Amino acid sequence: MEFAQTLQQTALAKWIGESGSLLGYPLFLFLHTLGLATIAGLNAGIDLRILGMAPALKLAPMVRFYPVMWIAFVMTVVSGLALLIADATTKLGQPVFYVKLLLVFAAVITMQVMRRRVFDDPQLDDRPFTSTARTLAMTSLVLWIGATIAGRLIAYLY
Amino acid sequence: MTLSHVHLLLNHVPTVGTAIAIALLVISLIRRSDELKRVSLEVFFVIALLTLPAYTTGLAAQIQIQNRPGVSDVMIEAHEDAAIWAFAFMQLTGGFAWFALWKRRRGGLARGSMLAIVLLSALTMMMSARTANLGGEIRHPEILVGGEDVAAIEAALATNPPMITANQIGLLVTDRTWLWPAFESLHFIAMCLIFGVVLIANLRLLGLFKVWSFPAVHRLLPWAALGFAINMITGMMFMTGSPGMYADNTSFLYKLGCLMIAGLSLLYTTAFEGPWWVGAGQDAPRRVKLVGAAAIASWLGVMYFGRMLPFIGNAF
Repeated sequence: MEFAQTLQQTALAKWIGESGSLLGYPLFLFLHTLGLATIAGLNAGIDLRILGMAPALKLAPMVRFYPVMWIAFVMTVVSGLALLIADATTKLGQPVFYVKLLLVFAAVITMQVMRRRVFDDPQLDDRPFTSTARTLAMTSLVLWIGATIAGRLIAYLY
Repeated sequence: MTLSHVHLLLNHVPTVGTAIAIALLVISLIRRSDELKRVSLEVFFVIALLTLPAYTTGLAAQIQIQNRPGVSDVMIEAHEDAAIWAFAFMQLTGGFAWFALWKRRRGGLARGSMLAIVLLSALTMMMSARTANLGGEIRHPEILVGGEDVAAIEAALATNPPMITANQIGLLVTDRTWLWPAFESLHFIAMCLIFGVVLIANLRLLGLFKVWSFPAVHRLLPWAALGFAINMITGMMFMTGSPGMYADNTSFLYKLGCLMIAGLSLLYTTAFEGPWWVGAGQDAPRRVKLVGAAAIASWLGVMYFGRMLPFIGNAF
C-alpha cells in the first residue's frame, strides 16, 4: 500500500510514532480516549434517560451536551488521524479498523438524528418519550458499545 | 519509602479499620443513631477504597521479598490467595454501604441493607483476619504457637489447597487469548459510563444545567457506581493475570492515587449534605464546586495514567 507508506513516512507521522516523546503517540492516545469517553459517556447519559433512568431529570436541557459532544468528536477525529498516520501501513490493512469507523459513523449519525427527531420537540418533557426516541436511544447505546469494542480490538486483530 | 513499607502501613486498614467500622455500626444500632449509622457506612466505603492499594502494594512486596532466605514463598502465595477473597468481600461490603448511602436519600436506611452490611462486614473481618495471620507467617515466626513451624504449615497447605487461588484467577485471563481483550473492552465501556455520569453530575455542581436540581441528577449516580464496580473487577483480573506489569509501575501508582480521590469525590456527591441541597436554579457553595472540579480532574487523571501504563510505566 503505497499511500499508507507515504503517509507513514511523512515527518509528522515519524515524529508521532517514533520520537518516543510523551507528547507524541501517548498524548494522542490519551486525547483519543478522553474524546471517546466524553462523547460516548454523554450520549449514554442521554440514552439512559430516554430509556427511563433518573425520571426526575428533564431531558430537554441535555441538548446542551451537543456542543461538548461535537468538540469531543473533533478531538477524537484529529487524534485518531494522528494515530493513524503514525501506523498507517498496519491500520489501513486491518478490517476491524474499518468496522470501527463504520460503527462510529453510525453512532454519530444516530446522535444527530436524535438531535432533530427528539430534541426539536418543544413538548419533549410533557409526555412519555416516543418509541422512535427509545429506538434511537437503544441503537445509540449498541453502536457506541460496538465502536468501543472494535476500537479496542484494533490492538489485537492484525 | 518502599512499596513493601506502604503495604505494611496500608494493610492495617482492612483489618483494624474493619474492626473499628463494625464497632461503629454496632454502637449506631444500639443507640439507634441515624447519624452514626451513616458515618459507619461512609467508613466502610473508605476502607474498601483503601483496600485496593493495600492489595496492589502487596504484589509489589511479593516481588521485593520473594526468593529471599527466611521468607516462605508458599506462605506468600497462601496469603495472596486468602487476600483475594478478603478483597472481594471487602468490595461487596463497601459497595453495599455505598448503595445504602445512596438509597438513604429516598427513604431512610433500610433494615435489609443494614442487615446485609452487618453480615458482609463480619465475613470480611474473618477473611481479613485470616489473611493477616497468613501474612504474619511469611516473616514473623514469633506469632507461631506451641510446636508449629512454617514447614508444617506449608505441608498442611499442600495437602489442603484452597478452592480458588490467585494464580488460577490470573490464568483465566492469560490462558484464553480472547478473555484479556474482552475484559479490556468492558473496562473501556465502563470507563465511558463512569465519565459520562461524572461529567453530568459535577458539571451541575459547577453551575451548568441549573434547571436541574441536584437530587434529580443524584439518580444517575448508581450508573457511575456500576461502572466503577465493573472496572474494579476487570482491573483485578488484569492485575492477577500479570502482576509484574502493575505492581511497581509508576503510572499505575499515580492511577491508583487519582482513583482514591475519585472514589472519595463519589462518596461526597452521594452522601454529603453540600451537594444534596443544591436545588433547581441554585448555585452550589464554593467548597462543593471545589469537590466537583476535583472529581472531574481526578477521573481525567485515572484515564491519563491508565492510558500511560505502557509509556510512563513498564506495562506491556
